[in-house]
Amino acid sequence: MSKRQLAMVMDLNKCLGCHTCTVACKQLWTRDEGMEYMWWNTVNTMPGRGAPRDWEQMGGGFTPDGQARPGRLPKRAEFGEAWKFDHEGSYYGGQGDDSHLKIKDGSPDWGPNWDEDEGAGEYPNSFHFYLPRICNHCTHPACVEACPRGAVEKREEDGIVTVNEDRCRGYRFCQSACPYKKMYFNHQKKVAQKCIFCFPRIEQGVAPACARQCPGRVRFVGYRDDEAAPIYKLVDKWQVALPLHPEYGTEPNVFYVPPVLPASYGPDGDIDESKPRIPDEYLVSLFGPKVLDALATIKAEREKKRATGESELMDLLIAYEWKNMFGGFDRSPETVSVIRWRK
Amino acid sequence: MKAGYVPGVPLQGLLDAQADIWRQASSQVIELMGAPSGLQPTSAVRAQFPDGAIGAVKQVSVAVLHNGGELAFRLAWRDATADTGADGQDDVGFPDAAAVLFATRSNAPLMTMGAPGLPVSAWYWRADENGRGRQVTAEGLGTTQTVHGDQVHARGVYADGGWAVVIARSLRAQSAGAVAQLEMGAAASFSVAVWEGSHGERAGVKSFALGPLGGWHELVVDRKA
Repeated sequence: MSKRQLAMVMDLNKCLGCHTCTVACKQLWTRDEGMEYMWWNTVNTMPGRGAPRDWEQMGGGFTPDGQARPGRLPKRAEFGEAWKFDHEGSYYGGQGDDSHLKIKDGSPDWGPNWDEDEGAGEYPNSFHFYLPRICNHCTHPACVEACPRGAVEKREEDGIVTVNEDRCRGYRFCQSACPYKKMYFNHQKKVAQKCIFCFPRIEQGVAPACARQCPGRVRFVGYRDDEAAPIYKLVDKWQVALPLHPEYGTEPNVFYVPPVLPASYGPDGDIDESKPRIPDEYLVSLFGPKVLDALATIKAEREKKRATGESELMDLLIAYEWKNMFGGFDRSPETVSVIRWRK
Repeated sequence: MKAGYVPGVPLQGLLDAQADIWRQASSQVIELMGAPSGLQPTSAVRAQFPDGAIGAVKQVSVAVLHNGGELAFRLAWRDATADTGADGQDDVGFPDAAAVLFATRSNAPLMTMGAPGLPVSAWYWRADENGRGRQVTAEGLGTTQTVHGDQVHARGVYADGGWAVVIARSLRAQSAGAVAQLEMGAAASFSVAVWEGSHGERAGVKSFALGPLGGWHELVVDRKA
């Protein structure tokens, strides 16, 4: 057990699916060889099959009695290969306008955001929302427990889960064990790699890039036990932020404020407030039964804010002042030098 | 078993698993067993590989030669698939691999890959790095460390539905690590292991030889040709 635990809360009501988080992460951490297909941060449309494709059916994590649940390895194609384009042929191949820039080596059939905006439901009650995902830096990390060499480590000081690449032998038990499939394998270096919660930034007081760059102010960052900061207030005090798939048994430290969409239309075209557009059972399948209380709290506090202008919870979620979202990790990245892997 | 003395045969000659010297060498078939599931260090490995699921390769033919300077093991076994990790192969596959393990202190336990203060050392080959070897030491499960990996030479040939792999090193090695030190006329304790890549075997999930001497087999390095 780590002495302290860093955590993140993502408000799914504010995510607009712009992928700025994903690109911020990619630019900073996964540009090296062997990392082409890696997106430590992904944003997927829900309901959807996700990335890697159908990851929720790949197993891993723990059974209710705490035993390791077997999982399987995701293939690169299930994450989505990095596409290669025929730049040479298009620009210099002498084909003129007859040629266009197209993907080389066959047509891909999946990628990290393949089923964007498909969602579910029938018009006019169709629905979707965006689900950004990073490593959950779990309190009970299946990856750490799976490694026969102790090469996956949970940092004592802040609970960030990292891979010690010097100890890693590429056995990939961590990748099967992670039920969120947020462990990646570098086929060039033959080691596991993953989201590091931007620890080189954290150590200098800078929030992770995915949070800091988010234009929607979706992400809150901070220590789990900092009662003065938003994480504690959203997770413990208001209990409106919940882990994804708590039944996997790993105790994630990334929490989600569940989405509240407008109510459904009835057959007569009137709004039917009794029927939520996202079926409750779907949200329960993602966030567990506690999501119903969380939704009720959010709706009540929205109403209160509307009626009186006062709600601590709504003010927190609106995040009027961005600095208040980061539990003190609000130093500008421009003022620090951050390690970046280079070719 | 004996390591036959073939003076004058260079290292490159020893590394050719199909060379005549190996046809003439006496070989011994050694039975292999799957590493016990209960000895795997983590519950995730045990859950994925319960008893009976480990140990795809059941026997290996072993011959050993030395030229006075270098000693080479030739391991040959049947394998329906050459899992080399080459492009186009399944990217969730694992390479075939083989190793020779030595007790580098007497009484070093085989089943647990050594123990604190009782190291073992392996010479290792894997099909996706064919042509080079690795040398590791260990003092217990999950503790292997690469030590002067380039001292070990290893080359495999896949033909006629099986692998023939030669793993070689100088009899003595300059290393501060607890690597094997062999000498002519002396005996050493060894074991062999094979990993079947197409069965997902890697790490402690492997077939290994359990010999008569506290788990070890004995190797005597011939002094005379």
